[in-house]
Amino acid sequence: MRGSALLLITVLTGVVTSAQGRGGAPPGRAGGPPTAPPSPRAAALADLTGQWVSLVTEDWRYRMFTAPKGDTVSVPLNPNGQKAATAWDPARDEAAGEQCKAFGAAGVMRMPGRLRVTWHDDTTLKIETDAGTQTRLLRFGAPMAPGALSAPPGEAGSWQGVSLASWEYPRASVAARGVGPGPGTGPPPGGTMKVVTTQMRPGYLRRNGVPYSANAVMTEYFDRLEVPGGDTLLVVAAEVADPEYLGTPYWTSMQFKRQNDASGWNPTPCAAR
Amino acid sequence: MTNVRASVYVCASVCVGLALISATLDGQQAAPGRPGAPPPAPVIDLSGYWTGVLHEDAYERGAGNEIADYGGFALNEAGRLWALSYDPSRVTLRHHQCEGYVAPYQMRSTGNFRIWEDRDPRTQRLMAINVYGQTTEGLRTVWMDGRPHPPAWAPHTARGFSTGRFVGNALVVQTTHIKQGWVRRNGLPGSDQTTMTDFFLRNGDRITNVTVANDPVFFSEPQVRSNDFVRQPVDHGAWLYACDDGEQILDRAPDYVPHYLFGKQPFAREFAQKYSLPLAASLMGAASIYPELSAQLRTANAGADADALFSPAPGRPSETSRAVNAEPRDGQVHILPIRNNVYMLAGDGGNIVVQTGDQGAFVVDTGEGKLSDKVLAAIRTLTPKPIQFIANTSFHAEHTGGNATLGAAGQDPSLPGSFFVQSAPRGVTGFFADPLSHATMMGHNNVTVRMQATGAPASTVPADTYLEERRRKFHNGDAIELFHQPNASTDGDSLIHFRGADVIVAGDIFTTTQYPFIDTKNGGTIQGLVRALNAILDRTVFRHQGEGGTYVVPGHGYLSDEHEVVEYRDMAVIVRDRVKAMVDAGATLPQIQAARLTADYDTRYGANAGPWTTAMFVQAVYDTLKVLPGAK
Repeated sequence: MRGSALLLITVLTGVVTSAQGRGGAPPGRAGGPPTAPPSPRAAALADLTGQWVSLVTEDWRYRMFTAPKGDTVSVPLNPNGQKAATAWDPARDEAAGEQCKAFGAAGVMRMPGRLRVTWHDDTTLKIETDAGTQTRLLRFGAPMAPGALSAPPGEAGSWQGVSLASWEYPRASVAARGVGPGPGTGPPPGGTMKVVTTQMRPGYLRRNGVPYSANAVMTEYFDRLEVPGGDTLLVVAAEVADPEYLGTPYWTSMQFKRQNDASGWNPTPCAAR
Repeated sequence: MTNVRASVYVCASVCVGLALISATLDGQQAAPGRPGAPPPAPVIDLSGYWTGVLHEDAYERGAGNEIADYGGFALNEAGRLWALSYDPSRVTLRHHQCEGYVAPYQMRSTGNFRIWEDRDPRTQRLMAINVYGQTTEGLRTVWMDGRPHPPAWAPHTARGFSTGRFVGNALVVQTTHIKQGWVRRNGLPGSDQTTMTDFFLRNGDRITNVTVANDPVFFSEPQVRSNDFVRQPVDHGAWLYACDDGEQILDRAPDYVPHYLFGKQPFAREFAQKYSLPLAASLMGAASIYPELSAQLRTANAGADADALFSPAPGRPSETSRAVNAEPRDGQVHILPIRNNVYMLAGDGGNIVVQTGDQGAFVVDTGEGKLSDKVLAAIRTLTPKPIQFIANTSFHAEHTGGNATLGAAGQDPSLPGSFFVQSAPRGVTGFFADPLSHATMMGHNNVTVRMQATGAPASTVPADTYLEERRRKFHNGDAIELFHQPNASTDGDSLIHFRGADVIVAGDIFTTTQYPFIDTKNGGTIQGLVRALNAILDRTVFRHQGEGGTYVVPGHGYLSDEHEVVEYRDMAVIVRDRVKAMVDAGATLPQIQAARLTADYDTRYGANAGPWTTAMFVQAVYDTLKVLPGAK
């Protein structure tokens, strides 16, 4: 009996909790006028904006230099991918005007360089890279199914492809808030930005021609971390799945350190070697 | 943990007995009581079976990198030179064979991982999160219950001592008390002064672990790295990593440590040549991490600049230690339980060891004597029995300074009516005449001789002495052995081994705070010191993966085990070999001093002022090789 009562209370509490919106009253209830959900920019729990410098502390030789052709160590290529990697010809890329193949979305985040992250508008986060002078637009608000968003003109088939972004909140935050984030409620900030990128122009995971195809799907998780008494870091954990060239998804994680100024920003053109 | 036991960390001052914090000798302290504290709400569940994904740095995490592949590491000069001096054959030495991975490298190791929670069975409060790595059977316990980190004089372990909290969607872990070890298996070092912050993030079946290791000894800035793990649906079934050491290469001299002299690393250019990289690129420390590297390489004189990186920069003053002082200087005496009935007392200069039991206390060394009243008060919290024996490892003042006070507070009930009392020569070892008002003091005969030569009062000089290699005594249920170490720090040093508790008291033969104190004016030599360090290693037995087991109490610094001793032994041998190479080549002492032969150790042990400087150490090595080449 006691257990049943507890269960009932628990269930009711859950119902009440889940019915609460931020600030207490859910949108469109309790007699108030309907309110629009906060924009992704307003809802952001993690401030990812600013200038960040890459810390090339892993895969150093592959990222700082161009490895020899066929050096594909640790990338889970399938036989097609291995074949394509050994056929790498930077002169051919230059002749074809494809010097940016290593600076597409699946490669550019691993380049030594700096990122400038800004809100392009309330629903689009923009990442500019000085390496290769590239721009990624991460659009919020659409379902996360690949291809569900109508790609803006020029993005589909581009080096940076089409990126759909969403906020992923810590479980405790969701539980405390009931439905999600909002100013002035819940626990301290901390949330992951998930980005799924599709429709990329075929490019390279590494500068030495390790390939990904137009069918590749890249899923990234962006986290801002505060080192106690130290730096602010941006960590990007990436997964590239490519049925054409990879046997299993390719997992990497990159770290960037936040700068307090704009020093070091040095836009450079793409280079094929 | 077989050695885990409730223990007490006492502030022995006017508040003796009031400040009690539970502790264990694995660097852990039990949680302070927090009645009513709400359980921390886990934001993420990390539990399960995981495997490290090796899509980055496959060589580092697999077969191992080439020598000089240090790109992406913020090595300072000391770290770079330490790594370039490294000979991979060092791991064939017995005491290096089973070393575990230190925390920053453990997270990058290949193999299986398992993560699980410990919860209080009554309250279900989250107490700890355990991260176990198959390779070297590395267990990290992340305490979530708010307990403090151990004091600076507590032991270090390969995985260190970790506490955690949830911040946002991450588990944030702080780790201290890490042993010296590798951060890459090509000899790239991480010091025992490393502290680490790491973050655990979970996205579906993926954990991303970001480590920020701060090593002031070998690195110029924090080293940030990330490691990915994929969840496995079932138990891997492979968790063990057995290791016992053995003879791998026979007939080596006991004082042989594989290493290369500065500038003589034969494989220093191999990595760059193999991959057609600029020679300097991987040796540039923090500069190698940032995008400006390529521009710097374009402007640098690559050949000359790279060559200069293989040896200590000339003309610089010696660096000094960046280590945390492991000796409390707060005017208090602190008790650290070691094992069974043996305790370390820190705070009055040199470390003091106390063994208790149904007989009187057996005390090894008495500190500087500035805090002797507090030392006595601390001992009285451990036993109501008087001090029966005091043994001195050395005649040096920081080990005998409290002899007068502690001796006078003791008594030796085994002596009244004995021959010793009847025949004791008054005025020299006068306390034998009245053993019920004085402890009996022991030591090698040279301790007594040296103290008498300084005019020390008779009541402070050991009367119960020995002349040859060994003195033994069974006391408080344990076998205690004193082993003379000829011509080590002095000519009268003793190692004192509590065999049952398996604790060795090293005196000035081994410290964690400074270069070896080789007192050449009183019989010390570098050869004897190396022999003495090896004598410790001849008696130690590690518990697991090269750590734990026999504890070694240093003359100064934090409680250690064989791992710290073997690193210290290696350092003594390597510096000796470097000095000897220059002596053999006809170099003068000023030339040797200018060569900065300790450059890779100075950020750990160096001093340019105080009672024992780097220059004094190098001169002592030189003197015993050049001036006293036949010294025992």
